Amino acid sequence: MLRKIFFFNLISVAFLIGCSDSNTSQTSETVWEQKAQMLENWADNFILPNYESLIDNLLSLEESISVFNNNPTQQHLDNVRYGWLEAYKSWQYVEMFNIGPAEQTFYHLKMNVFPTSLVNIEQLVASGDYSPLDNSPYNSAQGFPALDYLLYGLSENDSEIISTYTINGNYRNYLAEIIQRMISNTSYVLDQWSNYRTNFISSTENTATSSANKMTNDFIYYYEKGFRANKFGIPVGVFSAGNVFPEKLEAYYSQNVSRTLALEAMNAIDLFFNGNGSYSLKQFIDNFATDEMSNLSSEINDQFDLARTSIEGLDQNFVNQLNTDFLQMGITYDVIQAGTVLLKTDMLSVLQIATDYVDADGD
Amino acid sequence: MISNINIYLKKSAESSKLAVFRICFGLLMLYSMVRFWSKNWIHTIYVEPKFHFKYYGFEWIQSLGSYTYVLFIICIICSILITLGLWYRLSIIVFFLSFTYIELIEKTTYLNHYYFVSLLSFILIFLPASSCFSIDSILKKKQYSQVPKWTTDSIKLLMIIVYFYAGLAKINSDWLLEALPLKIWMPSKYDIPLIGETFLQYEWVHYLMSWGGMLYDLTIPFLLLNKRTRMIGFFLVLFFHLFTAILFPIGMFPYIMILSALVFFDGQTHDKIIKLLKRPISVFMKKSKVVIVEKLSTFEYKRPKLILITLAIFFLVQIVVPFRYVLYPSELFWSEEGYRFSWRVMLVEKIGYTTFKIKNKDTGVIFEAPCTNMLTKVQTKQMSFQADMILEFAHYLGDYYKKQGLHNIAVFANSYVTLNGRPKEQFIDPSIDLLSIEESFKHKVWIKPYKYDIKGF
Repeated sequence: MLRKIFFFNLISVAFLIGCSDSNTSQTSETVWEQKAQMLENWADNFILPNYESLIDNLLSLEESISVFNNNPTQQHLDNVRYGWLEAYKSWQYVEMFNIGPAEQTFYHLKMNVFPTSLVNIEQLVASGDYSPLDNSPYNSAQGFPALDYLLYGLSENDSEIISTYTINGNYRNYLAEIIQRMISNTSYVLDQWSNYRTNFISSTENTATSSANKMTNDFIYYYEKGFRANKFGIPVGVFSAGNVFPEKLEAYYSQNVSRTLALEAMNAIDLFFNGNGSYSLKQFIDNFATDEMSNLSSEINDQFDLARTSIEGLDQNFVNQLNTDFLQMGITYDVIQAGTVLLKTDMLSVLQIATDYVDADGD
Repeated sequence: MISNINIYLKKSAESSKLAVFRICFGLLMLYSMVRFWSKNWIHTIYVEPKFHFKYYGFEWIQSLGSYTYVLFIICIICSILITLGLWYRLSIIVFFLSFTYIELIEKTTYLNHYYFVSLLSFILIFLPASSCFSIDSILKKKQYSQVPKWTTDSIKLLMIIVYFYAGLAKINSDWLLEALPLKIWMPSKYDIPLIGETFLQYEWVHYLMSWGGMLYDLTIPFLLLNKRTRMIGFFLVLFFHLFTAILFPIGMFPYIMILSALVFFDGQTHDKIIKLLKRPISVFMKKSKVVIVEKLSTFEYKRPKLILITLAIFFLVQIVVPFRYVLYPSELFWSEEGYRFSWRVMLVEKIGYTTFKIKNKDTGVIFEAPCTNMLTKVQTKQMSFQADMILEFAHYLGDYYKKQGLHNIAVFANSYVTLNGRPKEQFIDPSIDLLSIEESFKHKVWIKPYKYDIKGF
């Protein structure tokens, strides 16, 4: 009997070996090579150039600010505002990269935490001592949201804003301080990246701490938190008992640009996912999806398109949207949320990445 | 029949088998506990969470907070005492209780091999595992060369059940016909040296591993039982478990199974192991005075009937429990009704994503519960695809918001789950107020039926 069982084992094993020899991966490149290409693509075509264009925009913003500080006129204020928007747009292409030097220095928390804290800003403006900005309670008193307030929120009309800067040197100093900090924080991260890059692109294994996995998790986290919740869910009151919070919108004080920024973010998400012509998550999904999931990448792209269309259908001023028809924004949130579901279930199932958080035995 | 049983019950086996098993078990548990501690899991799993998922019927088990460390210290001390065979009966009872208590604190960390350890330590309570080569036998000045054969056989029986049911569970259409979930898992193991990029990437390998795993589980107990095939069997045990140890993050399980398989070897082998162990000890003990230990033949129970009945009931339960799933009409892998405690290992790849909506029934206002900070990431991951945990957490949210002053509320779950590489499906009926549902053994009608059919055990 036992001999028969053993024999049966051998037969079935031999049968199976002879049966099929197809490789699940559809390319001749090894997974290592594909991952290495993906990381290189991310580093060289996304992260580094996006940081570079951010720093360029921040530098021209600094120039406009110094011109404005020397001579606060409407024309110069408009230039600063223009520069701020350009830099803010390029920030949307950087925010998801909370990895490496950015993660270590809590860079993101110093760039775009909103709503901004008026109390803290006014306190620092008055005192002239900016050292508290190094501490986390003052994260929301700096970065783009602080500039938003300083450029649009000091008063109802522009002439009063300009006269505030004309009269009060403290505001000029604070404005200059904020842009300088944004530049120095960003250039620190960018400088570190030139060393970190080698590290980043060589970390291709499938472990919780490898670049490929961390970046994928960061991407999903950004989509869920930075994009879905911060830009839509929280202001529209998804997480609170039926109250809308216009003041929790991104770029609340300038009002007219919230949709612009959201669409840039949507574009950044789309580009990163599809890889812009080279290896990214899309190609991995296409290579590894089971037959049932072979449509996944196009399904995700369709969902991104639906989200984009839905955002485009909103008022370009999200404050107006919330005040006139917040339910419409709730619908946009739901469309974006459907994307979260795809990324966090189907995509993670196909990618089989070791998630960055679960450290325990399995069975 | 009865006389056959009586003849069997009078059979004896070498007591060294139990001694070796006791020592292996003690050392493995010692290592497991220290390992668990060193990974800081006591903190992240038992101390840090604000909320613990409880087993149905064991809701009274309380988390001890920081005192969980004391439980682990108790387990560690017991493991040492078990290894030494000092106050064995007391140590194994305390070990069983404290280990099981730890496991009952938090359901999201359920692992079949923790359950196995609990069961094994329960059986060991009733076995004379310190009747030789133990400090107890020196203290009592009595040692036995033989123990009733059914004592070692009951360990074997538990192992047979584990393997056989694990094998039976693999006879399903996903595992055998689709090589799922191995087909999904293996390509992601590309970073394992030598085999990762080559061997593990081929589809035939996934089928080979699926079929091989099934056949291994079903036949290994018999290969180990039969003297002629035992060495082949043990070689397969070594190969299989070490291979899975390389492939999967399954902690101590492979080593527990490998060392437990020693119990299938004959008494001579165990006598040799004891002799081997005695050598360094005797060098060490030379200077101490010689204790004269009375050498007796067969260990005899004072109340064998009581113990035999206990073990018989225990095994009956073990044989029946894995089949309880047939009482539920739902797809087993999807609903997991009757899934746990049944030696179903490695069968499903599941990822879930679950959010909760709170409805104020007075105003009609609905909002999403921001529950990211209420659970740890491990808890969130596990809860997201297991219905009983979703229900439990919904009730926790209900209590939480009632404390916030929202008394008339309903809680709904938006839950999506992928199973073995199939596109996600909605898991929980989103129109059901989970606060109106109480946990029970009844079929959970609020789990949406699965679109796909997975055939098999």
